[in-house]
Amino acid sequence: MKALVVDDSAVMRKVLIGALGRAGITDVDQAADGKEAVEATSGTDYDVVLMDWNMPNMLGIDAVRAIRANGKTMPIIMVTTEAEKGRVIEALKAGAQNYIIKPFEPNAIVSKIQEMIAKAGGG
Amino acid sequence: MKVEYINPFIEATYDLFTTMLGARATRGDVGLAKDQANPRHIMALIGLSGMARGMVALSFPLDTALNMVNQLLGTDIKVLDDTVSDAIAEMVNIVAGGAKAKLNTGDEEPIDLSLPTVVRGNSYNIDYPSGSIWLEVPFDSDLGSFSLRVTFEKTPEGDG
Repeated sequence: MKALVVDDSAVMRKVLIGALGRAGITDVDQAADGKEAVEATSGTDYDVVLMDWNMPNMLGIDAVRAIRANGKTMPIIMVTTEAEKGRVIEALKAGAQNYIIKPFEPNAIVSKIQEMIAKAGGG
Repeated sequence: MKVEYINPFIEATYDLFTTMLGARATRGDVGLAKDQANPRHIMALIGLSGMARGMVALSFPLDTALNMVNQLLGTDIKVLDDTVSDAIAEMVNIVAGGAKAKLNTGDEEPIDLSLPTVVRGNSYNIDYPSGSIWLEVPFDSDLGSFSLRVTFEKTPEGDG
């Protein structure tokens, strides 16, 4: 399993990488904004992407649209402070599979990642 | 700024502490923020725009900032460095994001957040936009004291 963590906060990336590790995923790449995420996903096949919303250069929601426009179908989990119903709907319409609102309990995010992996047939 | 607007920001601060930091925070009395009455070592600010305009600031003395970051990451950082700034920025982002969702009463267009800015150091002056009214809430917590400052007004389109 290979994951991509996209967040402009290096601290949050570290927190999420820790959660992925507890979910059994230790092969993790990082991207600091949506543009880097689109570039990373165009060259590498990831099994799951964790995507922030508010980032410089390219928003996470625009990155989701671009990744889907490139034909990539891996599960994308939004991990964001954007908690309004409208934002969740917008993300799901753009092609995200799941949505985690910050702040989150570390164990809750591990469960959600494991659940998504299981749904995707990865274990 | 209507006083009731402060409550979602207070609730979002509690949410941050209980869920991500595993710590308790308790607030003091809400009051009008005085210019530089409360010098701190590190402050993170974030702007709100769209259906509302405003700013949120979290400011911390050194010990609280280090305790929060070390609690979040399981580290033993002893100085204000880029990691601390990054973490404090993310925390104000989380508080502002949580509060704006609580302020969204239904199908309104979500309020937009700016990217956070962090100021480090003991000696700085912040000149807030003239006419803006800031409320300040002092907090104590398991990780130390800190303060929350908020200015917030719904724009005409957000008030309709």
